Amino acid sequence: MHLTREEERILDGEYGWACQTCMRILVKLGELYGATKLIPISSAHISGVSYKTLGDAAIDFLKAITEKNAKVKTFSTLNPSSIDPYLTDKLPRNLVEKQFEILKLYEKMGAKLSLSCTPYYEYIPSKNSNLAWAESSAVVYANSVLGAWTNREGAPSALASAIIGKTPNYGVHKPENRKPNIIIDVSFQPENEVEYGALGYHLGEIVKDKIPLIRGLKNPSLDELKQLGAALASSGMTNMFHYKETLKLNEKLEKITVEKQEINSVIEKLSSSKREKPDMIFIGCPHCSLEEIKFLAKLLEGKKINSKIEFWVCVSKHVKKQEKKSIEVIERSGVKVLTDTCAVVTWTRRLGVERIMTNSVKAAHYLPTMNNVNVIVVPLRECIQISTI
Amino acid sequence: MKILKGRVIVPGKCRGEALSSKKPISFLGGVDPETGVIIEKNHDLEGKCIKDKILCFPHGHGSTVGSYVMYALTKNKVAPKAILNEKADPVIVVGAVIAEIPMMDQIEINEINTGDLLEVDCEKGIVKILRE
Repeated sequence: MHLTREEERILDGEYGWACQTCMRILVKLGELYGATKLIPISSAHISGVSYKTLGDAAIDFLKAITEKNAKVKTFSTLNPSSIDPYLTDKLPRNLVEKQFEILKLYEKMGAKLSLSCTPYYEYIPSKNSNLAWAESSAVVYANSVLGAWTNREGAPSALASAIIGKTPNYGVHKPENRKPNIIIDVSFQPENEVEYGALGYHLGEIVKDKIPLIRGLKNPSLDELKQLGAALASSGMTNMFHYKETLKLNEKLEKITVEKQEINSVIEKLSSSKREKPDMIFIGCPHCSLEEIKFLAKLLEGKKINSKIEFWVCVSKHVKKQEKKSIEVIERSGVKVLTDTCAVVTWTRRLGVERIMTNSVKAAHYLPTMNNVNVIVVPLRECIQISTI
Repeated sequence: MKILKGRVIVPGKCRGEALSSKKPISFLGGVDPETGVIIEKNHDLEGKCIKDKILCFPHGHGSTVGSYVMYALTKNKVAPKAILNEKADPVIVVGAVIAEIPMMDQIEINEINTGDLLEVDCEKGIVKILRE
């Protein structure tokens, strides 16, 4: 890998241990994947924020980095934490304090406490710009829907890129690696967000790390594509998909047809608990868009949620601020609108939750193992039907 | 004496006893950062301590937070002396870098059994099996 003189100096430790360590991370990954140089990034999105997923081990590393006064060199956003103001009194004090400690460390580095898995609602990266984003759902959305370029970074490599302001030029930072290499013909129209999610999940399992060109979808909405991409990233290693049929293909590619039946069996497989009443309903994985919030308000207008069900809608602070009226309508129904967190990255078991209903296939993938709960996956409309009086 | 060759990821030299697994290891949730004991259920090394061992496994898997767990192992003085993989993956590479654990990949892990005495040279990219 070719390094500039300045980059060599950082690697040699002239700017201290923290920058040196970050540079070593980037150089080693670059060497591993055949990068030829480092390229500047316009933003970083850092995962590894929730104390629940991170644990004490990571705090030590973050502390060591901040003790050396390392600061981020590019606009850097953060993934969700494990708490929202609503939860701070409901969870054990020591957990809340540890979470605050992590947030302070990131703040000291100069990262923005956006605490959302949807950084693209706060700021839209420009087309063809290079990013270093962690959070697989945001990576897929950035590459596939927004046309920005980012590899699927891990927690430490996104942090290292934020501090150095650069990323190694491998993977989808190279145009030739962004082309589809498998064609997926969808033989039906997904009818709701769950079916889009299930389609993504199924594709993740069959394409592994290939880039699919998905054909046959008629005008999918941005939110439906978000569900598809989030699920695709949870079952597979792909970091992007194509869905515009106008795309020119130069070579003959492997083709796979996906039938409705396959999607149904994905949904069935992910729903561990059939039609029992849930203790919790969780909407907002990934965090809701403005449109989703408006739609929710429309569905919940004048309705009341069964008080035995904890109904969560998770969203970024940014989106919550922008749509105050809808948020009021939603909250009036008894739904709790949480920011800075979600059901997957907080301790739902400690809140007494055993069965979660969600419209997110990604959440359905992670909740049973990460939160030890049973899951029911149904579209938003059904979640509301079941929970309103 | 058998000699294996590999690719150097993190340089360093050491000698020690091998702890060898056929299964990938996830450091997050799979290894206790306080004690260095493998806690992943049904793993072939479940219950074994990796402290001061030369840890051999095909590759990593699971969350990238696993790299931070490797850092914690070093900090808590329960890290392995070296890591030998078949195929390096980003979680383990970044972990070995920040935890300063010598590491090589492209090593024939099947040739190494738990209990073998190894001499690892992560400068030249050579592993010597001194005693089987």
